[in-house]
Amino acid sequence: MKIVKLLLLLAVLGIGAAATVMYSGVVDVAADEPHSDLVYWLLEETRENAIQQAAKDIEVPDLSEPELLLTGGVDYEFMCSGCHLKPGQSESDMSIGLYPSPPNLTISNKEHEGHEHGDDIQNARKNFWVIKHGIKASGMPAWGKTHDDQRIWAMVAFIKQLPTLTPEQYQVLTAID
Amino acid sequence: MKTLTKLALVLIPAITLSMTALAHDPSMHVKKAEKADCSKMDHSKMDMKDPVAIAMMKKCMKQSEAAKKSMKDMDHSKMEDMDHSKMKDMDHSKMKDMDHSKMKDMDHSKMKKAEHKANEKDDNNEHNH
Repeated sequence: MKIVKLLLLLAVLGIGAAATVMYSGVVDVAADEPHSDLVYWLLEETRENAIQQAAKDIEVPDLSEPELLLTGGVDYEFMCSGCHLKPGQSESDMSIGLYPSPPNLTISNKEHEGHEHGDDIQNARKNFWVIKHGIKASGMPAWGKTHDDQRIWAMVAFIKQLPTLTPEQYQVLTAID
Repeated sequence: MKTLTKLALVLIPAITLSMTALAHDPSMHVKKAEKADCSKMDHSKMDMKDPVAIAMMKKCMKQSEAAKKSMKDMDHSKMEDMDHSKMKDMDHSKMKDMDHSKMKDMDHSKMKKAEHKANEKDDNNEHNH
């Protein structure tokens, strides 16, 4: 009985503390003020594990078809490059201003700092899921609401090739017909 | 007071300069729908098994075909009112490379419009690629 009372007291205290933080307005939500290392780690770990879990059963189609690069390239240029950059570009208004910073997709996974990326298949699954469903409170939209799976896979195929592209190749692949 | 004035003299230009360094050209915000620039493609260095090279070739071929089609679909009947007086500044020296042997089948009756010359030259250039 004592344990139940203690647990109840702790729960009430927890809810009280959370409500105090919420309603006092002490949390700085400005995107130009970074999280503390602990909060950043908590959010990033939660996000990465959630995506990995949600995407684990997605079947990856053949992404080597050249036609996919043409469809995916045009979509990438108009939907993604503003935040995730293009070859020859190191920053943009969005990549500087968004928090957390959108990953620079023009560099290979090996060059990314921080979390693990897994192999090509895992990476394709993850990219497909993120493009389709977006990520809450990060600035990443759910493109699946307006684009079918085929177009999203084309973007995944393009993103896979993106780190290998020169600015000239990028220009040709992403230009309109 | 003197120190304050000196500080202001140093700080105000420094802050102003740092603010202008952050500002940038508004044209960076404009998304332009560009045509593919296929002129820089070096076919000799392309690996035809590479999906990127194949995709680039496809894109450039599609663009070239679309350009040819749009030329064919041009309504030449509307060109009668061309102002030939404005053509006196044409640089004829650049026309010396024209292959006249290919012109034997030309229908001279349709040569009223000077545009044909330019179109044919473009066509030849594209075939040479």
